[in-house]
Amino acid sequence: MKAYRKHVILALGLLAAGGLRMSWEAPLTREFRSDGLLAKPVATGTREKIGQTSAAVALGGLRTLVATFLNLKAFSHFEAREWGELAETYDLIVDLAPNTPYYWTTGGWHLAYNSASDSLTRTDLPALRRREAWRDSICRGRAFYERGARLNPGEPSINAELGTLLSNPNKLVDFPAAAAAYKAAADTGKALPYVRRRECLALARIPGRENEALEMARQLYADPHNRIPVLCCVLFAMECRADPSKNPMKLAISIFGDARSAHDQLGDYWVRVRERFPLDGVASALKNLEVILLVPTDESVFNRSLQPKENPDDWFRGR
Amino acid sequence: MTARKSIPFSRVRRVAVIAGHAFTQLVRMKVFYFLGFFAVIGIASNFFNLPQQSGPEALGDNGMDLLRLIKSWSLGPMTLFSVVMGIVSTALLLPKDVEDRTLYTILAKPVPRLDYLAGKLLGVLLLLFVSLALMDLLMVIMLQVRLSIVLEVQASLGQSRGWDAAAIESLKQDTLAQGPTWALQGAVAAVFIRSAIMAAIALLISTFSSSTLFTTVVSFLIYFIGHFQADARDFYFEGGEAGTSAASRYLAMSVSLVFPDFQLFNVIDAVIQGKTMELVQFVKLALAGLYYVAVYTIASWFVFSDKEF
Amino acid sequence: MKAATGKGSVASQAPQPDFSASSLAIDRRRADTAGVPAVEIRHLVKDFKTSLKRQPLRAVDDVSITIEAGEVYGLIGPNGSGKSTTMKALLGLVVPTSGTCSIFGKDSLKVDSREDVGFLPENPYFYKHLTGAETLEFYGKLCGLRGVVLKDRVSELLALVDLEGARDRRIAGYSKGMLQRIGLAQALVQEPRLVILDEPTAGVDPLGSRQIRDLILKLRDRGITVFLCSHLLEQVQEVCDQVGIIFKGKIVKSGRLQDLIAIEDQTEIILKDAPPELVAEIEALVKRSGSAEWLRSGKPRTTLERLFLRETSGDES
Repeated sequence: MKAYRKHVILALGLLAAGGLRMSWEAPLTREFRSDGLLAKPVATGTREKIGQTSAAVALGGLRTLVATFLNLKAFSHFEAREWGELAETYDLIVDLAPNTPYYWTTGGWHLAYNSASDSLTRTDLPALRRREAWRDSICRGRAFYERGARLNPGEPSINAELGTLLSNPNKLVDFPAAAAAYKAAADTGKALPYVRRRECLALARIPGRENEALEMARQLYADPHNRIPVLCCVLFAMECRADPSKNPMKLAISIFGDARSAHDQLGDYWVRVRERFPLDGVASALKNLEVILLVPTDESVFNRSLQPKENPDDWFRGR
Repeated sequence: MTARKSIPFSRVRRVAVIAGHAFTQLVRMKVFYFLGFFAVIGIASNFFNLPQQSGPEALGDNGMDLLRLIKSWSLGPMTLFSVVMGIVSTALLLPKDVEDRTLYTILAKPVPRLDYLAGKLLGVLLLLFVSLALMDLLMVIMLQVRLSIVLEVQASLGQSRGWDAAAIESLKQDTLAQGPTWALQGAVAAVFIRSAIMAAIALLISTFSSSTLFTTVVSFLIYFIGHFQADARDFYFEGGEAGTSAASRYLAMSVSLVFPDFQLFNVIDAVIQGKTMELVQFVKLALAGLYYVAVYTIASWFVFSDKEF
Repeated sequence: MKAATGKGSVASQAPQPDFSASSLAIDRRRADTAGVPAVEIRHLVKDFKTSLKRQPLRAVDDVSITIEAGEVYGLIGPNGSGKSTTMKALLGLVVPTSGTCSIFGKDSLKVDSREDVGFLPENPYFYKHLTGAETLEFYGKLCGLRGVVLKDRVSELLALVDLEGARDRRIAGYSKGMLQRIGLAQALVQEPRLVILDEPTAGVDPLGSRQIRDLILKLRDRGITVFLCSHLLEQVQEVCDQVGIIFKGKIVKSGRLQDLIAIEDQTEIILKDAPPELVAEIEALVKRSGSAEWLRSGKPRTTLERLFLRETSGDES
């Protein structure tokens, strides 16, 4: 057979075989995607997509191995407080292993907590620049968490970490975003119960969504496992806020079980001012509880020192 | 020619003879040394802890991460080994026979060329199968050992934290899903299928290439592009509305027609993360692999059938 | 030929003709193909493309060869004259540009034509990792032999080519002559009726090439057709019944060896222990007859090859 004719037949044959498989290849991909076996096409940039796929193929199956060693290298950058290198290394790590939540949470933690705190100690910088470095670090950490959460939709831990960052009073607080992150994490069904509770705690601190928070707090409270002090306190405050005509002390005793624990837990709650929890009815309940429990004045909650009320912004003032 | 009339199985046996020979030929090239390397990696993954991941918590909450690590550290070298071996050994066998003129002596016997090709390919596949099976065994053993430790620590940790039976049980189920499961075996099989496809592609290329180096390089390029095939296909099907240029659409179409879809095999990653692959899904994947292998083998035979030496 | 005495040697039992019954099988095949030439090459032309623009290179140009069953045919010619290409075309390793090749009446492009042929390529090189016996077993299995039949066949072939001592040695350690002989054994593994040998003695020392020559003669005695090509003319002369001379792709001369090389108008008389007076007497007789001319007398010289062989092996030939 003539060589060129043979090549033409071969090319046509391969194309025809390709056309035949088109009929099942695309549906199979769709099926695997909907079953969670293949990642759904996420709205990532082309660069990121190509980067990840190339790294995956180029390193063969060894990409997780390489990611592990890069993680070690990142840890030494952390110890040497080389934050720029650390950020770069984590970008590379998550390109190699985009579906390992550990790298996302660790990378975000380094940026938003370690790098940010380190910038507070940079006494060589003027206050405003220090503040800017601090803010910048936190924002980068937040962006890193958000990117990881977007790439791993079914994975609760990254969103949970994001929520924790966004509701941390020592960071840049954003309760609506924190509530959304906790909600996304809890909605995967794989998160531990605290995530749902924290969603409720975040909601309670968003002006205008108190009713939602109350409804949720009631539901959570119905399960005895959820009756941790802070949730009970928030439930108490939200109930008082929703219906100010209620007797705070009676309500407290019914929520906490008895007067002593109501007094102790609400007392601890009262001093946590920096976390901006709702305080409706708390003072009134505490006063009445102290009366019936015969608490001496010098041991009164109201004589305890509150958490220092400063904001992060205060850290950079006048230093 | 009644005395030499082939009995029905003689063809199968002949392919088996060539396959067995190709297998021993490869084994004597000392490819199994890789298994030693694999064992070191596997055992290292067992003792290696990530920083910030020590103490009993590492075994409790993060125990699943460790199991995942063992799996991905094992399946990674498996992928690397099987794809490299599939390509390189296939690329090596054919030109070596031509160069040494052993091909002449084989084809001068009553051996149909398809039998010869199929035998060589099957020999490579046999090698891949045996080595993957050995690595798989090693991985399952390590995973099982680690799993039992993790479960033990989890149970005592759960009790000390006062968890109820349901919570402990649910964590246990999650952890078991990270252990040696049938889905994991399916993933190993998927690694095998992918390397089989690559071997068939290397076979096709080596039927018209003149050097092992060329075959190897082109095969790896195809392997690389194959990972983007699904994107090209999506682009072709969805690009129409987006108003992309006709030229780029046709390019995308030809890429998706010619190259195999290796993204299908990313299910391996999902299994490492603890997802379950159903039997039906695995069968579909295996059939897809079979289709690719058959198409490329037939194409190889088409080129090889009247090739001159 | 040694007869195998293995258990599986009843023809009806084994799928392939076993060894003791094989001469019978050959007879039957012979009957099937009585009168059909072992090799028939008709107007074979083979062009090779060199590059896109240039004219194709014509390696073989209208070659026709017919070899009857049982003959030893030698194709001689300088390097690059088309000998190997002709053989490859006969084996279906290259496709003729035009013309046909057949073996016992079967088209060379079909697989079944190769059931009755064994091939020893030029400078054969076998799988280094196999021993001599394993090599023969491999080729035997390719031809469908197995079990006791195969085992016996391997032992017999090793004995035939005098490699029993090297049976379990890796091919990697074989000398050139041993490689050539194991190659010949490999070609014979399925008892073909035709053996094609491409430069069977190239690069082999005289001792080895003598062994190969003897093997070829043994094959001829068994009735196996041999088609060999060589550029070593003396060897061809020693073993071939028929020769063809190929030059630049064309057969320039062919026929029975004796006919081709006989000097028709001369006669040779060789005497042993003849006294000089007898020689003078004969010379006088010749002169007297008038019709013949006395050209020369003297001692015939042995060839250097024969001298070498006698000195190295004690074998006087």
